[in-house]
Amino acid sequence: MADLAGVNGQREDFRVVGQRNVPGKLSYALATGVAKFGIDYVLPDMLHAKFLRSPYAHARVARVDTSAARAVPGVADILTWEDEDIRKLRSFGEMFGAQRPYLDNLADQEGAEVAVIVVAESEDICEEALRRLDIQWEILPHVVDLLEGRKPDAPVIRPQVRETPQFGIRSPDQLESPPKRGNVAYSNFDSGDIEAGFKAADHIIEYDLYTPAFASHMPNPSGSVAWWSDEPYFGEGKTLHIEGAVREKHSISFMYGMPPEKTVQEGLFMGGKYCDWGLRKSQNITPLLAKRTGRPVRCVNTREETYDFIMNQRYAYMKVGFTKNGLITAMDDFSVADGGVWGSSSFGNVGDQTQGPYNTLKCKNVRQFMEIVDSNRGMMYVSGQHCPFNWDIVTIAIHLIAEKLDMDPIDVARLNLHGPESQDDINPVHSFEACVETGRKMMNWDWHRAGARKLPDGRYHGASFRYQMCPRHSFATYHCKLELRQGVVHLPTQGPLFGVYSIECNAMVVAEELGLNYEDVCIDFDYRENFVTFGGGSDGTTASAWVAKECAHILKQRILEAAIEYAETAPPPGMGGGHGFGPPPPPPGPFKGLKPEDLDLAGGRVVLKADHSVGAPLTSAVPQNLFATYSGKPPLAVWVTGSMGKILDTMNTAYCEVAVDTETGEVEILRFGVAADPGKVLRPTSLESQIDQVMYFSQGCQLLEDFVYDPRTGVRLNTNMFDYKKPGMLDVPPVEKDFLETRAGNAVYGANGISHSLANTHMIIIAIHNAIGVWVDPPATPDKVLKALGKA
Amino acid sequence: MVLLLAQEYAAVPSILTEYRCGICGRIFAGLPELEEHYAARHPEAAQPVVVALNLNGKPRELLVEPHWTLQRALQFSLGLTGTKHMCDRGVCGSCTVIMDGRAVLACTTLACECEGKTVQTVEGIAADPAWKPLIDAYCRWDAMQCGYCTPGFLVSAKALMDKNPNPTEDECRRALAGNICICGTYPRHAAAILEAALKMRKGA
Repeated sequence: MADLAGVNGQREDFRVVGQRNVPGKLSYALATGVAKFGIDYVLPDMLHAKFLRSPYAHARVARVDTSAARAVPGVADILTWEDEDIRKLRSFGEMFGAQRPYLDNLADQEGAEVAVIVVAESEDICEEALRRLDIQWEILPHVVDLLEGRKPDAPVIRPQVRETPQFGIRSPDQLESPPKRGNVAYSNFDSGDIEAGFKAADHIIEYDLYTPAFASHMPNPSGSVAWWSDEPYFGEGKTLHIEGAVREKHSISFMYGMPPEKTVQEGLFMGGKYCDWGLRKSQNITPLLAKRTGRPVRCVNTREETYDFIMNQRYAYMKVGFTKNGLITAMDDFSVADGGVWGSSSFGNVGDQTQGPYNTLKCKNVRQFMEIVDSNRGMMYVSGQHCPFNWDIVTIAIHLIAEKLDMDPIDVARLNLHGPESQDDINPVHSFEACVETGRKMMNWDWHRAGARKLPDGRYHGASFRYQMCPRHSFATYHCKLELRQGVVHLPTQGPLFGVYSIECNAMVVAEELGLNYEDVCIDFDYRENFVTFGGGSDGTTASAWVAKECAHILKQRILEAAIEYAETAPPPGMGGGHGFGPPPPPPGPFKGLKPEDLDLAGGRVVLKADHSVGAPLTSAVPQNLFATYSGKPPLAVWVTGSMGKILDTMNTAYCEVAVDTETGEVEILRFGVAADPGKVLRPTSLESQIDQVMYFSQGCQLLEDFVYDPRTGVRLNTNMFDYKKPGMLDVPPVEKDFLETRAGNAVYGANGISHSLANTHMIIIAIHNAIGVWVDPPATPDKVLKALGKA
Repeated sequence: MVLLLAQEYAAVPSILTEYRCGICGRIFAGLPELEEHYAARHPEAAQPVVVALNLNGKPRELLVEPHWTLQRALQFSLGLTGTKHMCDRGVCGSCTVIMDGRAVLACTTLACECEGKTVQTVEGIAADPAWKPLIDAYCRWDAMQCGYCTPGFLVSAKALMDKNPNPTEDECRRALAGNICICGTYPRHAAAILEAALKMRKGA
């Protein structure tokens, strides 16, 4: 076990942390429909708003006449991109890329908001008014096929230089990339000596791989409702109320020049926005429209308008050199990635490759050249779970080496994995070894070469394996506050709730440290509070819980001191409350003459450390109101130190078994397996659920999901839930799980994050290859399987 | 929370007391006046209609436009938020309600076709103490993550248990096959239903 920083990191007795089946604090609101998401808000006298959406993949509104639209009964307001109110708007949400006006007359994808906003009594009237617009469109050439768009003679769709941020520390291996040419920007890395690496190789294999774009996971179409009030409760002057832009109150305040305390957002529910934090225009336009009309305004996207990317399309060509015993000596990686529309996140491409999968390898001879192609395909907001961190380039290499040398891929992985401390460390990774030992047993792992095993029903059996580190890349500073009021411990937080049971994990840690039951910690949701339990990575829960632990320790000290103080100063029995009014003060605990270090907290009581049967309930032992604060973060967030993937303290392994029917092309996932070491399990029920989730995300992007474009018009053809298929109840296989607790992470009690790191791009595809011996590009639909087999 | 919802819901008058023009927002005291207003001011627009139905055990009148779905009517006429809008075309099950004993999709059911029907939404299920074990089990098993689709699953589960109080795991999966959870909570639902069924049998 690592020497864990902070108080009680080495704790071995857990009463609360690790409990199963503990209801989430907001689960009842969710289950019963009480929980309101942005789309759910309906206010009296509310207006509705809609953007003009482009029917073209790339076009400019040269002129628009709104007079007929304004004449439609029920229309309250129409704005165009030329209105001063629109020109003044600047959004400050988490959207990257070159600065762009909030709304302009350029549409760079089909369905893009462009040029006009209509406000009316109903959505139907908005749509009618939009139909009445007299628009002169200037249709521009488009790029939805990256391989066409990268060609020198392709039409240039966007002349701007990419201005995108660098995630983490700039790597010394990052080359000065060539200037943008045509639609193509470059991001190039070169580490070690690639030529020497290939010279040292006994074998060289080359392969192509493809990753389709993958839609964001948003069940609730984005939108907001805003209104302005003169309520004196919030102070003098106008107060802005906005619901539906959950987690983005401050960026809304900034956008509209409002002090934070005059911007009210009480809603807690944002829906599944896993790594997709960017505000949509429908979420931040409503305050302006409400101000102009003097009425509440609701603006909500349709389902069709809710198909943004969480993983960009990418093509790659790989060349891998390795020795006859399976040690990788060089990896040459050339990829063509979708840069998306103007404003798309650079996550996974520009300067971001160093966060990728190579960092777990001993091999340092890695060349990564990437072309990033501007396109009219769509927008990716902020980040994706799958790239670059979980890009399965190395997983495929390990599998192909195993095939070539007839070695178990687990042994190939072990041979190539560097040690726990750094890329120069040659020691075994304890967490990896523990995971594969467990995983082998769980899966009855018996690897075979491609096409070598048939099931009794005639289908071919395939299996695959992958590993990844459990990340500790949360770099945020957390500001925790705990209060003791009338004997009850309160944990205030601004929320929100977006699909992980993060605040519950924090409350469990607080209860653990304060000798309470989980139910005894009162979570107070208040938008004015500062404490959030996420930030900077999938391990936000464990990192914030580390801060909550430190804060709880401070509160505990104050409680023990206060118990002594009250025992010494409590009024004698029979006296009334303050000024003679109210109930009599509670009797103090039997702590007179003792010191705080003689006391402890257990079972909701202040007790003698030497004898827990002697004590008093918190409510009577400490009637004072107390509070404690702690701001900080766990040590060594590896993203910040530039060591992502180079410190291998906690690991996870995943396994997949498939059956492939070579007559029909159908692929059935027989089961997934996950043997993982999150360091310490805080809340098992939600950890299991998060792992189900990420395996189903991975199933979707490898078997079902892809965007289909009409190449002639650039129009997306499947932005609906019939044609863009997410896995359903009968699609999903069992996910078998086994958790280890090596306590080797850097966050609370040695925990790290986990769920992100199981997102995979090709684990199922590799299992299919292991079954039938041919590559099928994802999504591996039956027709593509048959085509790969030469049967279609 | 559930009790609060029930109280709020009970406060909504069963019978319409005002009639709002969907085009200009004017409010009238009766349907004839609203109809006159439409004839005079919006002669080309489709007129709203009044739909009377039994909703969660109580008679209700809803003023809806002819093309409104039941999902839209529940949200915009009554402010009920449990019947969720997700796919808007009968794919995802998030808007599931129980109509005359059958699970139906409110996003593909016209409100004006619900005249005289008996409709139960998740709010009605939540307000019925008999179904508390099902809600408790959903919460205990984390049969939700972001929670947006959860009410639809819960209504489908209740529709299953109405017909089959002792379902198998496979029957649970098949009954909920029409509900999509983008967060992927699928295995949790059967666990919750089986636990609730056991508790409800013991409590019966």
